[in-house]
Amino acid sequence: METAFGDLSAWQAMLDRHAELFSEMSAGSRVGFVSRAGSGITPGKHAAGLMAAPGAGDMMAWEHQGAGMHTRLESYAGFQDARVDLLFVAEDDALATLRESLNGEALALIKRLIRKGGIMFYVMKNKYQLQDAGYEEFLESLGLAFLGACR
Amino acid sequence: METPGEQKLRHLFRPGALGRFETRNQVKYGACCVSNYNARDGFITPRELARVRVIAGTGCGIITNQGAYPDPLGEGKAYFRQVAIFDDKFLPQFETIARYIHDAGALAIQQILHAGRYGGIDLGYCIQPSVVPQTLPHFRPPRELDRDQIRAIVAQHADAARRAIRAGFDGTEVTSFMGYLLANFNSRFTNQRSDEYGGSIENRGRFMRELIDAVKQATPDSPMLIRLNAAELMDRWGGNSEEECFELMQQAVDCGVDMISVTVGWQEAPESSFGRDVTPGHWNYLSAKAKKLFPKTPIAFGNRLPDPVMADQCIRDGIFDYWEVCRPLLADPELIHKAREDRLNEVRPCIGSLNCLSRLFRDLPYTCTMNPVLGHEIEPEYTVTPAVAKKRIMVIGAGPAGMEAAITARKRGHEVTVFEKSDRIGGNLAAYAANDLARPQDLQSVVAYYQVMAAKLGIEIRLNTEANAKFMRSVLHQYDVCLVAAGARTDLGAFRYLEGANLLVDALDVAHGRIKPGRRVVMIGGGKIGLTIAETLAKAGHEVAVIEEDKRIAGDVMPTFKWRHTAWVDELGIRTLTSSHLVKVTAEGAAVKNVKGEETFLAADTVLVSSPRKPNHDLFHEFQWMVDELHGAGDALIARGLDAAIHEGYRMGVRI
Repeated sequence: METAFGDLSAWQAMLDRHAELFSEMSAGSRVGFVSRAGSGITPGKHAAGLMAAPGAGDMMAWEHQGAGMHTRLESYAGFQDARVDLLFVAEDDALATLRESLNGEALALIKRLIRKGGIMFYVMKNKYQLQDAGYEEFLESLGLAFLGACR
Repeated sequence: METPGEQKLRHLFRPGALGRFETRNQVKYGACCVSNYNARDGFITPRELARVRVIAGTGCGIITNQGAYPDPLGEGKAYFRQVAIFDDKFLPQFETIARYIHDAGALAIQQILHAGRYGGIDLGYCIQPSVVPQTLPHFRPPRELDRDQIRAIVAQHADAARRAIRAGFDGTEVTSFMGYLLANFNSRFTNQRSDEYGGSIENRGRFMRELIDAVKQATPDSPMLIRLNAAELMDRWGGNSEEECFELMQQAVDCGVDMISVTVGWQEAPESSFGRDVTPGHWNYLSAKAKKLFPKTPIAFGNRLPDPVMADQCIRDGIFDYWEVCRPLLADPELIHKAREDRLNEVRPCIGSLNCLSRLFRDLPYTCTMNPVLGHEIEPEYTVTPAVAKKRIMVIGAGPAGMEAAITARKRGHEVTVFEKSDRIGGNLAAYAANDLARPQDLQSVVAYYQVMAAKLGIEIRLNTEANAKFMRSVLHQYDVCLVAAGARTDLGAFRYLEGANLLVDALDVAHGRIKPGRRVVMIGGGKIGLTIAETLAKAGHEVAVIEEDKRIAGDVMPTFKWRHTAWVDELGIRTLTSSHLVKVTAEGAAVKNVKGEETFLAADTVLVSSPRKPNHDLFHEFQWMVDELHGAGDALIARGLDAAIHEGYRMGVRI
């Protein structure tokens, strides 16, 4: 079945190319990707959608299994049940752009899309938990410092 | 009788009114951020009292004391060493602060700060109207407040206000800035409740209205101020629109608040609200709108508005009533006095580096790049006192370290001569400023300040004079002290065994305008110097690639500004190769190799080197036996940057 994420093997190949970003991560670390439309998160109500998702959406999970990140598709029924450390909520056009760039600089594109608002980003763990789980390199690569951003 | 400055800035210096009180002018010291100078349990320390005494004396009509958290659990506590006001045991120090402020002739306002989404620093969780996950890893996972907790928090605010008034404060301020609990209730982003506190804007504003009502009932004779967003900059995340922000302000006005302090942005907003990349005056339209909508409520404003002349014009034009100023007064606590005396050219400028906030989010006490004394007011060693033994001091280098030392030493009565090998003061800072994409005027104002102060204090500056051993022999025994502040240079020698090393060009020569690079440029070094020059070149149309040995670029950049460089690099299309080093230079370009051993050839007309940098240690060895006292300061000791240069220069000047 075709989902908003397209071919998962292309995502897997992208993650494999950036394996060094995940090399310090603990097994079981999980990152989730949901499409805003697919998750019921409507414009202007991102957080409401996160909480009251109808359960019909898909989530692409990246899970560290001791030797790198592995992608798989799961159903998404709200962030409380997603069991992820980080959750990316992407606009449909952002996802489409990402799908097309999976063979190129996809992570740089994610960084750009977060800054432009095409991808929303939530952290489900605090900085010490994320540091302990080995997320620092990945978050730094996305330009998401372990700091407040009062500026 | 009016002073010259008061004549020029009539609107700023005219008396004002807040509730039943008069204020001597239209300047409000804003509690912009907490100092982190206090005890972990919320008690105010002598270090803090010494700082507040200086702030009290700034000459502002209203002084707002830094935000205190009102709850015993510390759910409202945002910062590592934030002060507390939930119990009478804290009263004595608040009484001292109120007395300091009154003794200095200002109105004393105590801010109550419940950080909500950004709080709970000691608890591992934060409280919010709804469970909305964090977007920044710095903050803690949320818990949703129930109605009883909401009522308790309202009561805690009222108690805190009552306590502040008992301590001698004239009024209180509740703040939503920048995304604290009040903002969390007001905003659609964080308030997803379905009860009477959520949903419609009327319901979302209920917490605020109850808060205002409770505080006003608790302190009926005292003005109550409120800090509210005119723009959250959280629209993309589903936050309030500007229109909604002003609707909420209307609710506060209808509740009878005595002043609205208009603010901009949340901590997690994706764009800057007061960093160096924001043009001064950029947000004035928001204040103007508030003033227009609520003409009978005093409006205070100061977001990215560091200039008293601009503030005076804004008051004249009805953009706001009170200039709310904080960071410029951290940089120079004499700012208002200098403005009154028409000595604005002597103001030590706030350059918006946000060193203060960078440190705060590392749980460190805040400091100021421009003011080395901030946080050390209690230490006599930081006070400029007349020198017991007057000395003749030669300072080598007219960069920030040298000029800071020269000015401080001269104030103490020493005779000071500065020797500078180039034809201007400012050192590499002047070149760096010229290439700054954010706002060159900020850094250039530092050089201008040094120029003015050197002239005022009668410091002799000998330009085009290189200090070397031969020169030192020519001035032998004329000086008692030599301070080497000759900075650092690009270490081209580090590449001397590299093939094509003779083709490398010092990036600082480009920064100083001595060399024009070709169209295609490779920059070795992705630190602040390399990036700043690379960005300027890219903006001017050059094709630029940056090579950095570290895993990431901008490693030496202030945390609050790092994102700015990475965004520019992205926007300007600068190619970056990290974890890579230079292996060969040819007339056609540069070959680089990454940690995996993969080699890439980058076509280039010019290969610039900005890193590594080497401190100017040679002079120490050359002068060791030629002068009584030999000292060093700034990058001449270890290559770092502006903060270290200014702070070390000052510390040398105050001690020699």
